[in-house]
Amino acid sequence: MKVLTKMLRLKGVRKKVRKKLLLVCLAAFMIFTAACSKNSNDGGTKPSDATNKPKETTEAKTETPKPLDKVTFSYFNGVAAAKDINTNETTIGKILEDQTGVNFKIEHLVGDLNTKVGTMIASNAYPDVMIPDAAIDKILDAGAFIALDDLIEQYGPNIKRVYGQYFNQMRAEDGKIYFLPFSNTVGEYIPDPNINQGAFWVQRRVLKEAGYPKITTLDAYTDLIKNFVEKHKDEELTGMVSLTHDWRFFATSNPPNHLAGYPNDGNVIVDMTTFEAKTYAADDNTKRWLKKLNELNAEGLFDKSSFVDNYDQYLAKLTSHKVVGFFDYGWQFGNAQNALKDAAKQDPTQDDFVYFPLPVTFDGQKDQYLDPPGFVKNRGLGITVSAKDAARIVQYLDNLLTDENQILQKWGIKGDTFEVDDKGRMYRTAEQIAKIDEPFNEKFGFKYYSWNWPLYAGGSFPDGNSISPGSQPEVFQLSLTEKDKEILDKYGVKTYSEMFAAPDDRPWYPAWGIPKEQGSPQQIWETKKDEITKKYFPKLVLAKQADFDKVWEEYLAAFSKLDTAAYEKWTTEQIKILIDAAK
Amino acid sequence: MESKPTMTTSNLVLPKKPTGLKRFGIKLLEQRVLVLMSVPFLVWLFIFKYMPLWGWTIAFQKYKPAKSFSEQKWVGFDHFNFLFQDERFIRVLRNTIAMSGINLVLGFVTAITLALLLNEVRKVAFKRIVQTVSYLPHFISWVVAASIIQTTLSTDGIINELLLWFGFIEKGNEILFLGIPEYFWGIFGAGSVWKDVGWNTIVYLAAMTMIDPAQYEAAEMDGAGRIKRMWYVTLPGIKPVIIVLLIMNIGYLLESGFEPQYLLGNGMNIDYSENLDIFVLKYGIAQGNYSLSIAAGMFKTIISFILLFGANNIAKRLGESRLF
Repeated sequence: MKVLTKMLRLKGVRKKVRKKLLLVCLAAFMIFTAACSKNSNDGGTKPSDATNKPKETTEAKTETPKPLDKVTFSYFNGVAAAKDINTNETTIGKILEDQTGVNFKIEHLVGDLNTKVGTMIASNAYPDVMIPDAAIDKILDAGAFIALDDLIEQYGPNIKRVYGQYFNQMRAEDGKIYFLPFSNTVGEYIPDPNINQGAFWVQRRVLKEAGYPKITTLDAYTDLIKNFVEKHKDEELTGMVSLTHDWRFFATSNPPNHLAGYPNDGNVIVDMTTFEAKTYAADDNTKRWLKKLNELNAEGLFDKSSFVDNYDQYLAKLTSHKVVGFFDYGWQFGNAQNALKDAAKQDPTQDDFVYFPLPVTFDGQKDQYLDPPGFVKNRGLGITVSAKDAARIVQYLDNLLTDENQILQKWGIKGDTFEVDDKGRMYRTAEQIAKIDEPFNEKFGFKYYSWNWPLYAGGSFPDGNSISPGSQPEVFQLSLTEKDKEILDKYGVKTYSEMFAAPDDRPWYPAWGIPKEQGSPQQIWETKKDEITKKYFPKLVLAKQADFDKVWEEYLAAFSKLDTAAYEKWTTEQIKILIDAAK
Repeated sequence: MESKPTMTTSNLVLPKKPTGLKRFGIKLLEQRVLVLMSVPFLVWLFIFKYMPLWGWTIAFQKYKPAKSFSEQKWVGFDHFNFLFQDERFIRVLRNTIAMSGINLVLGFVTAITLALLLNEVRKVAFKRIVQTVSYLPHFISWVVAASIIQTTLSTDGIINELLLWFGFIEKGNEILFLGIPEYFWGIFGAGSVWKDVGWNTIVYLAAMTMIDPAQYEAAEMDGAGRIKRMWYVTLPGIKPVIIVLLIMNIGYLLESGFEPQYLLGNGMNIDYSENLDIFVLKYGIAQGNYSLSIAAGMFKTIISFILLFGANNIAKRLGESRLF
């Protein structure tokens, strides 16, 4: 009997185990199917939300305009790297929420932009508001942005006021506006006192030792470097480096254009009288520039690892104190320069290693390094087809564009982050400047609001104050160290940008901002051109001096296979359109 | 007519052995738990491996993401033409196959050699240390590994320092290893071996433990030394594993990897570093030309399919163990 009951029990147990196994399998399967179906459910409920919500808000608006129910929208930023945050967790965002009842949940890009945006397109699920940055053509192609014209007409008096003069440039081919760019100027144009754009940079100690000479030609610049390296043989200095990594290769391919006295129009130089766009990747300017680098390399003054180093290695070299000079854009090596500047703030003797910008051209002609007040037309913020309540978002964006809110967005709160003197000039005290560091920027919201929203990007308020605090002379002067003032003084200027010539008027600027269709011949031309230049520039620079012309011929042969004429024709046409639109 | 008598006789000998559908049904019922357990995986396989095949249609369209299927413009074999007629395609294909081949040969030889040697080590502590050290690089992401390789090979890296120290090169003439196109395959091969050799030994070591110790004893009695035992006992013992792995890897011949080439590649070595995946990334995905990516993907799948079946077929003819 005992045995029998035991056996029975065992059997029971086994049965239970079997049942359990089955259950687990089934459960796994059900979770799996549920996970699959959940998505479709979400998709199903969204549209009904979308149809319900606007009604509520419009009703609320007509009855009682003030107490708006609070909503949160999602906001994707594909360009900046920062902590994900709710705007109402920041001081600025909280004030704006009190005004409008709207909060944005900001998500930043992690990983590869094209992959992220590609996934959004494939699943047809977007955040309510997004800044697709370089992937904007894909987003437009996919029809992910809604047209804003009617919404602006209905809810956007401020948007009309601020962007009105640009509307013609903002329209897509079908004549509609799909997104709001950021780089619009309001009022009087005030140049940035710092050099965030291109320049030839050199260590300050080099200028000090040479007695602060006026350097305007490429030869003078390279001689300056050569002399310095020769005098300091024991320091194992590198004369020049150049950034070539991946898409940042333009730091090596753009200088000929700047040296010839043109601003960064991307792949073309635009003639100022005929407005014809000509590529310069294979012209005499580029030849002259590469020949110079070739010469420097032969003399051991050029770091040949430039062509294999990645961006991090490049920045590391700039902070190593060993690199005497280089060409780059201020924003691109900002991390290195800031580290050097911080060190110089702690210890003034370190000021020798901070880089100083010089307006170098081939023959000392007028430089055009400073950005003309341009309008980047292929970057911006748009509202997606997934947005639940586009009207509410447009109202929020419109509300941002009042003078008061722009002061809040850029300068902050009076008495806290800025002061106003008796003449009405806005300024910051030394304590306020010291207070506004990175953690403060995040907490207060400057980090999230100083760009990446419809805004007054540059220029001045009606009372003459600069829109961006960094461009306000009073603020800039306070940010300078004693050593900064000393070197500026030697050159007889008050700001770094005074070293450079004022930008000429170029209504099309920047030509690289002209939108190109996905997979269009222009895009393929650019990709192929990149490939050829990336292959031949190193060869040209590292070739024996005697072989330079031979390699140049090879390069021209490879380059001539591209349909450059068509690319130039297309760009010229686009520039003509932009000039007409700006009239 | 002829088969009928045998049927009846067999029916007489083995009473009522069901055939055909009925037998299938009975088996199914008997193994219902097993079948049920495999259902989720079958569903997974169907959803993730077969349903996407529908996407192949994109290769024949000028695909625009926002439009529905019926609105797409059909272009026939245009994308395939672009792919095959581009002069870079041959070069890219050459690089892909060369690097895969290097990876395949080096990977097998080094892993099997290391496994054989490890198998002979009798000191457990030493064996463990060697194994751990050789596994470790496998767990480093290629991003980090590429940085290590770049630093090692840079003009002020350890290799150039050593060459300088031994007097093979002079100061100022440091070799720019990643800037010399012909070196790229070698660097890639060495890097891959360093990264994966330890990991690849695992399966062979596992196979070696399956070999009956009696065989070693018998060989020893017959006077076989260590080398002879390795050659005549261990190697034949793991041969089936080697062949199955070889067949599977041949199927992946067009997958030479993406990260190492992408991270170590630069303008100077592009002629040797650019492989099919990078080409597709540049001209397909980066330009939003999904159709081209799919066309290249189809091409790869079909070639891999042919290679896999070809290798399997050869193994079958040689009477070796095989995949299916």
